[in-house]
Amino acid sequence: MNLRRQLLLVSLLSLVLPWAGCQFIRETESALREGQKQMLSGTALAIADSLSQFPDEFSVTEVVDRSGELYGHPLSSIPLIDGYFDDWSIPPESLRTMRGVDGPISFAIGIRGQHAFLYVDVRDDRIVYSGPGANVVAEDIFSDRVVLVTGNETEITSLFDFVSEAPGSLVAINRTGDQRFAEPRILAHWEDTATGYQLEARLPRHLLGSHLGLVVTNTKSRDDPGIRSSSYSGRLPGRFAKTSPLLQSVVAGYAQPGLRLIVTDLAGWRLAQAGDASRSQPDSQTDEGISRWMRLAYSMLLEPGKEALLAEPHPSGREQQNYIAQALNAKADTSWFRSRSDGRAVVAVAQPVWSGTVQTGVVILQQGTDAILSLRNQALTRLMNFTLIATLAVVAVLLGYSSWLSLRIRRLSNAAESALDGDKVDTDLPSALANDEIGDLSRSFSSVLRQLGEYNDYLRSLAARLSHEMRTPLTIVTSSLENLDHEPLTDEAANYTARAKEGAIRLQKILSAMSEASKVEELMENADSERFNLHEALTSTVAAYGDAYPDRKFTCESDSSDVDIDGSPELIIQMLDKLAENAVDFSAPNDPISIRLSSDTKSALITVSNPGPPLPDRMRTQLFDSLVSVRDRGKDKHLGLGLYIARLIAEGHHGSVSADNIDDGVAFEIRLPVAGSRQS
Amino acid sequence: MSKRIAIVEDEAAIRENYAAAFRREGYSVELYDARKPAMEAFDARLPDLVVIDINLKDDVEGGFELCRNLRSRASDLPIIFLTARDSEFDAVSGLRLGADDYLTKDISLPHLMARIAALFRRLDAMQKPQGEESRIRRGNVELDIERMTVRWDDKPVGLTLTEFWMVHALARYPGHVKNRQQLMDAAQAVLDDNTITSHVKRIRRKFVAVDPDFAAIETVYGMGYRWLSD
Repeated sequence: MNLRRQLLLVSLLSLVLPWAGCQFIRETESALREGQKQMLSGTALAIADSLSQFPDEFSVTEVVDRSGELYGHPLSSIPLIDGYFDDWSIPPESLRTMRGVDGPISFAIGIRGQHAFLYVDVRDDRIVYSGPGANVVAEDIFSDRVVLVTGNETEITSLFDFVSEAPGSLVAINRTGDQRFAEPRILAHWEDTATGYQLEARLPRHLLGSHLGLVVTNTKSRDDPGIRSSSYSGRLPGRFAKTSPLLQSVVAGYAQPGLRLIVTDLAGWRLAQAGDASRSQPDSQTDEGISRWMRLAYSMLLEPGKEALLAEPHPSGREQQNYIAQALNAKADTSWFRSRSDGRAVVAVAQPVWSGTVQTGVVILQQGTDAILSLRNQALTRLMNFTLIATLAVVAVLLGYSSWLSLRIRRLSNAAESALDGDKVDTDLPSALANDEIGDLSRSFSSVLRQLGEYNDYLRSLAARLSHEMRTPLTIVTSSLENLDHEPLTDEAANYTARAKEGAIRLQKILSAMSEASKVEELMENADSERFNLHEALTSTVAAYGDAYPDRKFTCESDSSDVDIDGSPELIIQMLDKLAENAVDFSAPNDPISIRLSSDTKSALITVSNPGPPLPDRMRTQLFDSLVSVRDRGKDKHLGLGLYIARLIAEGHHGSVSADNIDDGVAFEIRLPVAGSRQS
Repeated sequence: MSKRIAIVEDEAAIRENYAAAFRREGYSVELYDARKPAMEAFDARLPDLVVIDINLKDDVEGGFELCRNLRSRASDLPIIFLTARDSEFDAVSGLRLGADDYLTKDISLPHLMARIAALFRRLDAMQKPQGEESRIRRGNVELDIERMTVRWDDKPVGLTLTEFWMVHALARYPGHVKNRQQLMDAAQAVLDDNTITSHVKRIRRKFVAVDPDFAAIETVYGMGYRWLSD
């Protein structure tokens, strides 16, 4: 992983910033919410206290069987008695259902002023009317019918039969005690539907007692007594729970914007309700101002709560939330909700209402956290913006910084690498003046390179200097030996001097080989460049090699006889001599040594290849340096200067020399610019 | 009376060795280890031949100074540089100052003796009238073996002893290729390839100075050189 990626990864740590911010906002919100709960609990307690004055309004103090209880929904408008539910001011979810013969039967009972309203939707595959002319009031006729059963804790007092002769308005039959009569105070409408029929009725409220039940009878024919579906299971219908106007008015007194009050009886039926928790200012801009982006942010960043819709008053009329259930069991409890769509939270408190030592009901307070919301909204928006900017800035800066850093390091590394490429060591490295660690690195690189350069220079001049320094003492030796020749010597002594002379001559050869490189350099400086035919020079030279090394097979191939180059032919041939010498040294007797010349418009390529051991890889680049030899011990008197001289000559002619292993040997290549290709 | 040779050489061992060799050949030898005593002695009396080392103790270019001084006083005094400095630049400088030969210390004593003898012979020949029999003519070139001089188109070409012997070896049998070893032997010197190359180059340059169209010395790639006679 490179530096830039590493730093980018590190910069991701700055994402902790928004996270911490969010944590903070969550904490703040939760603390504010707790505070609001406390406050709300206090209010709820006060209201519960005040409600304890009205124990009678809470109809029951103990509930035995809740299954058959019906609830009279308070209606905000009077529905038209036309057999349809759509003009009822309560949602369809408020409809209760019970099992019927041909499908579920849904129904609702509403209360508006002094009237009670009934709506029943019955699934009936075959509707059996009482038929025209039948005396439904007097006789028991088998037909589809709806019966409203009312009474008190102990007995059934009245039954109201809704029997239809045909779709449309009908007259209900009132059966109270033994009396049976058409009840004119009840307005009813029977409407057939595709799946059955719908019945809507209005009746004076006082006709209904404290208990109420609904019975639907479904017959298949006039002879069939039919099957009863009932809203209650026992002998008596369930309690009829309904709102209390008194409590309603009391509760309305406590209502304030953003606060919802609900009073329920012990069964959880709503006895009174006032206010709305959803918002304090109905038309604040919050709803419009919340973008999808913010919504996403809410859902991702804020502490999730229960869905706020659950906090709404239950459409069935009976509150069943957990915290309310707790309160119904005489334990005050709180809860909170959050809207998924706008992040709004609602804090809810349920407080039992006591009458003396007996619990009569529950008061529920719900308050929207609008104040918190707007605070949080702003905070969140700002936090998001700031942290986004901060994070981006940090990432950008770190990225830029790391790019710059890695650029510097890469430059330094490239420079350090290329510093050794050339003949001369270049010790000027980038960032040398920088005051940081990279600067230090650059400077220490420079100093290492400088030392290396000095060492290289020393090595390069070592041969020449050594030969120069040794020449004088050698002269002393040789001249002394030569003088000794003229002295009378015993045969023994003559042998020794002869050997000493031999050694001296060999030393001399070594010395002149050592100074050859500097001679070549000198020659090159003074050489007059002339244009000559490389092909001719090469062929005649290679022909001469045949005589010089009779135990090798020299071949000369050339793809063009017309290759002119500018330079010193003597030096070029000397270079060739060195390569030929090298090839001979590394090959075995009778090995073919091939010298090839090829050319294009720019350069001429001379390849000298011979079979032999491959070049070791580590030596490949140093091969052409001074005093470097890849030879094994044994063949002494080789100083590793031949290829160095070849390189000097090639480079002196603006060419290059390289060595490579080929299939079964070694190939040396010299590339020289052809005449006229160089603009000088 | 024997010829007097002065050796100016700061290295005592070499000086003495040379002196011994010269004396054995019958020369009388004067030895100096620095420029100053040598100059003082030469002011009094010039020797017949001077062998000078360039580097004289701390006097790095002392030999050159000495040569210039001597040449200004005696135009025909044979002066030989015998030095450890084998660079082309030094050789050219030395010969420009009027030295008759520039030898490196690689040279063996017998070779050195041969050269000294040749120089004296030339000196003697100069004083004698020119003898026809000692001359060889090959085309435009005329070699005087006795005086060791060369003329090209009857114009003198100033060659050193080494150069003369090389030209002699080449021009004597025009068309024959002489390889480096043969040239080396002819010049009575141990010379490496590069030195021969420089010598040939210098010889050509000297002829070209006389005749810009000179092209009689041909390089035979990989073999050596030959004299072309038209």
